[in-house]
Amino acid sequence: MKKILIVDDEQDIVESLKFVLETEDYTCYCAYNGEDGLRLAKEIMPDLIILDIMMPKINGYKISRLLKFDAKYKNIPILMVTARSQEEDKLIGEETGADEYITKPFELEEVVKKVKEYLK
Amino acid sequence: MRFTSSLLIKNYYKISSFAKINQFAIYCKFVKINYMIKILLVTRDNTKNKKFNRIFNKNGYEFSAMGDENLIYDFVSAEHPDIIIIDENFQNISKLNKKIKPVCENSIIIFIINSDRVDKELIKYANAFITDGMTDDLISSVINVNLRMKNSLEMLSNSNKDLADSLYRLNALYSTSSQFAGTLDKEKLIQYMIEGMDKALSFSLTCTLSFCHGNAPVLILNSLYELSDELITALKLRTILNYNSLFDGKIPLYEINVENLKVIKHVKYPAHRFTFTLFQYDNMFAPISLGDDFFGCVEIFKETSFTSEDSTCFQTIAQQVSLPLKSAALYQEIIETNIKLEKLERLKSEFISIVSHELRTPLTSIKNSLDILASGKCGEVTENSGKFLSMAMRNVQRLSGIINDLLDLSKIEAGKMDFNFVPTSINTVINFVKSALSEVAKSKGLTLIVNEARNLPETSADPQRLEQVLTNLVSNAIKFTPENKTITITSSLVNSKNININEYFKDTIKLTDGDYIQVCVEDEGIGLAEKDLLHAFDKFAQIENSLSRKAGGTGLGLPIAKQLLEAHHGAIWCNSELNKGSKFYFVIPVSSQD
Repeated sequence: MKKILIVDDEQDIVESLKFVLETEDYTCYCAYNGEDGLRLAKEIMPDLIILDIMMPKINGYKISRLLKFDAKYKNIPILMVTARSQEEDKLIGEETGADEYITKPFELEEVVKKVKEYLK
Repeated sequence: MRFTSSLLIKNYYKISSFAKINQFAIYCKFVKINYMIKILLVTRDNTKNKKFNRIFNKNGYEFSAMGDENLIYDFVSAEHPDIIIIDENFQNISKLNKKIKPVCENSIIIFIINSDRVDKELIKYANAFITDGMTDDLISSVINVNLRMKNSLEMLSNSNKDLADSLYRLNALYSTSSQFAGTLDKEKLIQYMIEGMDKALSFSLTCTLSFCHGNAPVLILNSLYELSDELITALKLRTILNYNSLFDGKIPLYEINVENLKVIKHVKYPAHRFTFTLFQYDNMFAPISLGDDFFGCVEIFKETSFTSEDSTCFQTIAQQVSLPLKSAALYQEIIETNIKLEKLERLKSEFISIVSHELRTPLTSIKNSLDILASGKCGEVTENSGKFLSMAMRNVQRLSGIINDLLDLSKIEAGKMDFNFVPTSINTVINFVKSALSEVAKSKGLTLIVNEARNLPETSADPQRLEQVLTNLVSNAIKFTPENKTITITSSLVNSKNININEYFKDTIKLTDGDYIQVCVEDEGIGLAEKDLLHAFDKFAQIENSLSRKAGGTGLGLPIAKQLLEAHHGAIWCNSELNKGSKFYFVIPVSSQD
């Protein structure tokens, strides 16, 4: 079973993503702040990470950069999720190496579709 | 009572200063009437002595005769005779002339010569000559002519002096008023006023109470000599009394007391010290105000008396500074208001942005939960629960639309909206919108028709933003058109000369000359009332409109469309009649965007 790490300080969002992804037979790991997210990513070596940007302690940009510039983790696809929609945010997201950029409020179906694409 | 006493003190000084001037004038007149014309005869010749004694020993003359060379100099320097008559035969006459010349510059010097032949040396010193043989009357008349000339010269010299004084004062006034015109800094204006008064009136001390130095009043002391702490306190008290007296017993504009009055002191010669006798100096006082605007007051002290010209000059400068001070106050007000407005505008933008972002997160959770429930993964969805689930989902969608609109608007207003200008075909945009919305139109029983002009040139535009504008217009048309009617989208090429903008929008739309691509969205819907037509593109204009609410509009679609088109150097307007349908037009220039 493929492992997905969901990192978001909004518990409700993590919960709903976890629910739909588990019904698609993925194993989900959850973290509610950047620090836990980074630790968990290194611990479990997930197959994909869904990452929120605005989070306490370490923000999503930083986590993405740290992972994408490390040969060991750089192949893990990262889907960035944010409530901000400014184009410059998207640019920064891309610079930090995120593979996909999803704006809140998103369609769960859309996220599932993207996840499936990356984990084919 | 305090006010009255202060006024009394002030008036006492005023009266005393005028009395001084008047006394002086009376004294001068008295002296002038009884003035004796002083005549000195320098000779050792007794005959001549007798002759001149005979002529001048009468009323109006004070005649003296001297023969001792050593005494003459002392006499001349002490007495300053009006006329000195010197005998040519007096020994060492050149030496005498040189000696007395410096002390008798204003005296008329007349030589008695023996013959018609005049020594060249004497011409240098002489105002006139008389000869031995002249009669008494002739001598008298020579003396009188010279006396009259002397008086005329003196008068001329005095007038010249007065004229020079006036010119100097006028120059000071002129340079001061040029300085006033050159700044809108209130502190500087007060400083220029004091400098101007110093130039024109050369004061010993000025006490300026200024309301132009920050928020609290300040007492500015410009003094020739050092002031003791006691004297400063006395000056503070005096200024406060003067200030209060200006309000004539009413409550002053600002309550000042000795403790809270800050003092700024400028001393020219700190080695010397002023004493309380300063209060016996002549003084003048004036408020610095214009109408109801009060900027301060100024009192000026001088050891010698002020003349009436001084008074006029003082009042003029105090009045002159009031107008620029008023302008400066207004200017400051405008700047402050501007800063406040800018801050408010920024806060508003930030507020909308923050609130919108914050709303998105909970909205995502609601939407996700609804999606999961509707998917049936948590249990069967009955017909009724399905109805309410879709109601909730529809409204989440609507809320999400409002947030996006708000964000768009705040971005446009903050100038942060990014545009991606590329060569764009308007017909492609129209067909994209048609395919996106034809299903929605069909479900409402409406027909969506496109009338596209062929061979339209491509134009530099952001196709996504144009899609946003057109989607908004067509969505509105779908919302407000009843069943079985038609909505038509038409594209065409027009020239600015032929664009037909109705009278409601003519004045607000300014298009540069050239070709434009025009798109018209026509519906057979409820239309707009005339009074609403002008406000159709105002922010939140329709939010209070019950119909708009029922139809799920945010009231922001049209203002956003307007701003997006303006960013394309285009325009948007509409023709509409209540219950007969609307025509929304927009144009974008064919020429490329810079």
